[in-house]
Amino acid sequence: MRLNWKPFVLSLVVLLILFPFVYLVFLSLASEWRFPDVWPSYIGFKNWVTVFNSEAGLLKSFFSSLVISLSVAVFSTTSGFLISKAVFYHPKKRVLTLLAYFPYILAPVVFAACLSFFFLKMGLFGNMTGVVVAQFIIAFPYALLFFSSFWNEKVKSYEDLVATLGGNKWQTYTKVLLPLAKGLILICFFQTFLISWFEYGLTSIIGIGKVQTLTIKVFLFIKEANYFYGALSCCLLIFPPVVLLYFNKRYVFKKFV
Amino acid sequence: MRIKKLNIGILLFVLVGVVPFAAAFIYALLYSFGIIGVANDGFTLQFWESVITSGTFFKSFGYSFLIALVAVAISVGGALWITLKFRQQLETRFMSFIIYLPLAVPGIVTGFFTFQLFSKGGFFARISHKLGFITEASQFPDLVNDGLAIGIIFSFLTMITPFFVLLFLNVYKNERVEELSILAQSLGANANQISRRVFLPILLKKTWVLIVLYFIFLLGAYEVPLILGQESPQMLSVLIIQEIKQYDLDKISEGYVVAVLYTLIVSVAAILLFLPKRKRAYAT
Repeated sequence: MRLNWKPFVLSLVVLLILFPFVYLVFLSLASEWRFPDVWPSYIGFKNWVTVFNSEAGLLKSFFSSLVISLSVAVFSTTSGFLISKAVFYHPKKRVLTLLAYFPYILAPVVFAACLSFFFLKMGLFGNMTGVVVAQFIIAFPYALLFFSSFWNEKVKSYEDLVATLGGNKWQTYTKVLLPLAKGLILICFFQTFLISWFEYGLTSIIGIGKVQTLTIKVFLFIKEANYFYGALSCCLLIFPPVVLLYFNKRYVFKKFV
Repeated sequence: MRIKKLNIGILLFVLVGVVPFAAAFIYALLYSFGIIGVANDGFTLQFWESVITSGTFFKSFGYSFLIALVAVAISVGGALWITLKFRQQLETRFMSFIIYLPLAVPGIVTGFFTFQLFSKGGFFARISHKLGFITEASQFPDLVNDGLAIGIIFSFLTMITPFFVLLFLNVYKNERVEELSILAQSLGANANQISRRVFLPILLKKTWVLIVLYFIFLLGAYEVPLILGQESPQMLSVLIIQEIKQYDLDKISEGYVVAVLYTLIVSVAAILLFLPKRKRAYAT
């Protein structure tokens, strides 16, 4: 009889996937865990209570990240949807698409380092507006490319039909295009939200440590060797994407066009 | 009127999508030639010569290239194997949720977690001590901040393998590989031939652009090598930022030289990938 090894491998895969989540929560509950102890001397909610008393400024960082990511998602999805129409109906759409790919595949941190001079001159250095603008610059090409498949012949025919039936531009958007694109817009919104939520390098350059998003906090705690607070920040960072995943897997699965 | 409206759209696209990239590139280029910059006083090739003769860029590029190549090769190979062997099991309700979970973990968390596991005072070092394999932390092998970039590669694998599994599962379904496999089987092909002649060619042909794109993303990765990398050589993004943030003003210009070279390479890759007229590869 042949032994079926697949269930064992699958169980192992499940354990490996769940392990980081369990370990990070465990680490966030621990303190005074010195080498070579396998078990920490303290396990409890001390760290979480401290965070909710705002001593470590983590709650503030959580809400800063939320505000930044929501702003970036709103601006990039809206502009990406509206501008992509002009780009993907243009006769030179291949060249325009290529131009959108340049900022998209460049490492955001390098992009930010080369742009920081302009941000400094415009007074956008070291503040939240600057971080939103910088993140918008990298999220916009993603949103634009995301809608590339939407603007096809079929949609164009619908638009022409509305025009033939006497509908104006406003009606074309509200009665046809937006209802048709509703699902895509929602996915793009959450994916651009996550691009911003996960961003570290660009935020550290443009925010110069003054705008403390959760990713910045994680790195600060690593530098301070405060791994328990680091793990706690990681838990806060992972929480929204897991919730989004629960509602719809496509919110998190970025196929990068 | 329609043309006018389209032009406004294109104008906004240029303003938001093209101008920042062009401005950043021109700024870096001018800085690298000494035309702008605090301590620079006019055009010079000194910084370019310095970067090219010191070999810093080539070392860092080669190092990043190898790490990205190893990570992409292993994860694509692993994901293809998982798709081939576990496709049906991964379609169950529970597994189809679990397999998405790694996508909820950002790079900085993966780096932090890998450090917690593999550092000399980390989880595995404690277990090794408990089991009697080591008696002190320094005896634990270097698995993070190491020369072979084991920690970085491990992190990259955990970050991108789940993505490729999901991608291949999608392509498998959309391209009707199942039906084609049954057809090949009815024509007399064995399991090995089906894998080599049907499964692999279809999946790789439909996803190669994304595989290359991921390779480029890993080439410019920042958070993971910042936490898990070593002093020298460093991955490209870490090297660029370290040089640009230096107090030594000459080094700043050299950092911009590396940034220009990196941008050029990535831009050429984008042109080669996306300009040729080709049938649409895998898309949403």
